[in-house]
Amino acid sequence: MRPDLHKALSELTKSDDFLQTSLTIKGRQLHFTYYTTLISHEQFHHDLLSIFQLANGELRDLQDLTALIPIESVQASSSLEDISRRLAQGAIFIQLAPRLDEGLIVDIADFKLGQRGYNDTENEYSVIGPKVGFVEHIDTNMTLLRRGLVTEKLIFEEHVIGSYSRTRVAIAYLDGVTNPQYIDTIRQRLADLDFDVIFDSSLLEQLVTDNSNSPFPLLLPSERLDRIMYAMLNGELALICDGSSVVITGPVNLFSFIVSPEDYYLPWILGSSFRLIRYFGVAFSLLAPSLYVAILTFHYTVIPRDLLGPIIESRTNVPFPPLLEVLFLEITIELLREAGSRLPTKVSQTLGIVGGIILGQAAVQAALTSNILLIIVSLSALASFTTPIFKMSNTIRFLRFPLILLASLWGGLGIMIGLMFILGHLLRLKSLGAPYLVPVYPFRGQDYSDSFIRSSLVLLSKRFSFKRPLSSTRYTIRKNKDIGDDYSNE
Amino acid sequence: MQHRVKDNYAISGYFVFFLIGVCQAAANVFNFQNHILEYAGQDAWQSILLMGLSLHLVLWMVYKMLGHPAQDIMDLHRTIFGKFLGNGFSLLLVGYFFIMALFYFRAYIEIVQVWVFPNLRTWAMAGLLTVMIYYVVSGGFRVVAGYSFFYIALTPMLLLLYFPIRQGDFHRLLPAFNHSLPDLLKGARCTSLIFFGLEALLVYFPFLKSPEKNAKWAHFALLFATFKYSAIIIVSLMYFSQGLLKHTLWPTLAMSKIIELSFFARFEYFYIFMWLLTIVPTVCISIWCCTRIMKRVAALNPRLSLPIILALLYVAALMFSEQTELAALERIVNTLGFYFVVGYIPLLFVIACFAARPASKAAE
Repeated sequence: MRPDLHKALSELTKSDDFLQTSLTIKGRQLHFTYYTTLISHEQFHHDLLSIFQLANGELRDLQDLTALIPIESVQASSSLEDISRRLAQGAIFIQLAPRLDEGLIVDIADFKLGQRGYNDTENEYSVIGPKVGFVEHIDTNMTLLRRGLVTEKLIFEEHVIGSYSRTRVAIAYLDGVTNPQYIDTIRQRLADLDFDVIFDSSLLEQLVTDNSNSPFPLLLPSERLDRIMYAMLNGELALICDGSSVVITGPVNLFSFIVSPEDYYLPWILGSSFRLIRYFGVAFSLLAPSLYVAILTFHYTVIPRDLLGPIIESRTNVPFPPLLEVLFLEITIELLREAGSRLPTKVSQTLGIVGGIILGQAAVQAALTSNILLIIVSLSALASFTTPIFKMSNTIRFLRFPLILLASLWGGLGIMIGLMFILGHLLRLKSLGAPYLVPVYPFRGQDYSDSFIRSSLVLLSKRFSFKRPLSSTRYTIRKNKDIGDDYSNE
Repeated sequence: MQHRVKDNYAISGYFVFFLIGVCQAAANVFNFQNHILEYAGQDAWQSILLMGLSLHLVLWMVYKMLGHPAQDIMDLHRTIFGKFLGNGFSLLLVGYFFIMALFYFRAYIEIVQVWVFPNLRTWAMAGLLTVMIYYVVSGGFRVVAGYSFFYIALTPMLLLLYFPIRQGDFHRLLPAFNHSLPDLLKGARCTSLIFFGLEALLVYFPFLKSPEKNAKWAHFALLFATFKYSAIIIVSLMYFSQGLLKHTLWPTLAMSKIIELSFFARFEYFYIFMWLLTIVPTVCISIWCCTRIMKRVAALNPRLSLPIILALLYVAALMFSEQTELAALERIVNTLGFYFVVGYIPLLFVIACFAARPASKAAE
């Protein structure tokens, strides 16, 4: 006795969008089983129903049906488990009575359903350069990458993660460039994974990262197409997760988080200086508030006499110790930032004015803080926004607080102890097994051409050696003959 | 014989430059001057040159002894003295490295207490530093080595010597070559403290990739230290009169007090805080050596030995309450280190030369 799949399917779920319809075409009864919310109805009518009705021959068995259907993803199946999984992914199951123990799975899922239509890079903006970003649909993202990297070496390797979401996750890499060691690492980590629903790639990042107890991001998330392409060209692999507009890449080092794609679109002198400004921004936003606390609490003698006057003047009416003063302002700024990122865009502009200008001015007039501190704290908040990757700017924003507390405890010594802890932590971190602090430690002299500065394209023809690419040359340098300086041509 | 350490735990051979360099830049930069002065006076810089240059011979011996076939001093001890006695000697080294670590650790806390926070509780600071050392050393030798790399960022501070030079008087160095050789040698003996750090090479040698090829880096480190200390002592001799220098406890720091920029004064704070970058790695290297020796000799897992050693370090650091006790410790360390580096290593070299030959013949 063969199982009656039609009946078994009808008991599969109680959901109302689960439909089983029957049609009689040319004297044969056809059963259709599908979720109405998942399939493309247009395809259903055009490619299935009308084809069957207009067909010349008879519909004797499933082979006849398969020959008729103008869709490549047709599969005969009799396994209930397989069918229910494919149905949940947007397939339709067709049975030809009276053979109810088997049928055809036809994939007519409507992927455009529920997808946004535009893909601007809203969170990683750049003035120069393309503004194409990823969307929440993995096939679109793969298409974008495939269009950008026109080579048969671009490999997508799909996995299914999540016991409930059954999310499609693709490892993308360039064959012959990316070191297979890293691919094996990530493959192994994905295989070992057990999780229910992957909401976003940042969740996946936490699950496959080398150290989930670190404030530092160990894989680089980005929504920019050009950035991911550049990373892959340099021998990184990318992890694309269905339902997430952010693609993560690795292995990365600490310094790749300060890099902005715009550095490469500007002339190298400008690109390098703006990158240096960003490094300064990181250092400033990390250290400025804690140095203020340290100096004004313990080491006021390090301020030269001429500078001491203005500082004392601005602090004369402030009744709090520097620590409270700094914490008050820092927390205000954090509140503003947190509120600003939760509110709708139109309201948050108002918030900026209320918070930034009115609150700050009022706080100084009420003698809750000093003018100089207001400048320092707002500058350090501003500086923390220069970090191109939001996750890293969050890290820096977080690390300021332990440093401020340590500074209030032991002054400069406390700051130094905090920094040493951070340094020790950074030295221990690894991204997909590769050290996080390269090229500084372990020292890789060649890679300095694109870490603190972005040097001329002549010097960037080699891939980063610390990413251990299988082939190190990106392009060969050929000098255009008509470019020369006037002096030697005269 | 022990096999070489696996490649993914090993570090590039040239890193020996930083590993030796960081130890030789530790706390004694601030106060090495007055020891030498006693014997060598204005010719103290010659003592330093003498000591520094002769230590190249010791370094050469270390590289000669190790690598074929003995990988580290524990191997060497075992082949020369037999298993039982050899292991005993190796365990004595644990004590040596521990005292070294203790000295640098406690001396730094002392500097902070004298110069910055007179009321800082030793237990609090020692506690936090111990936690930090635990965190670094438990990361393995690669992390320790990485830590020691960053002291190189302090090298530009040598340029700040320009300020005391401007104030200094060259004539204080004269008459030069005024001291007899025995006096200079006595002075050199006192300087041995500033050159410690190369003996740890005996322990971490197998962790270096292609060590023989990179022996030059060890010599560069030594040369750099010699140059650095000679420069500092010449500047101090120019800046202070000898009578004042004799009674200044931390002359290098005292010199840095005169530097003033438009936004920053009192550079000695800056010096002291930044010096954590050399102190912590130095202590870490010594502590790591302790755990390594115990692992090789007694097969004691570092997960177990590291907390014990750090607890001992912490308790021992609390024992010192007086400046005089610390000075006594410094004298002990100085004598111990001097005889270890200048006496024991050459002795071991001579014995190894005779002992290793039959062993290698037997191996053939």
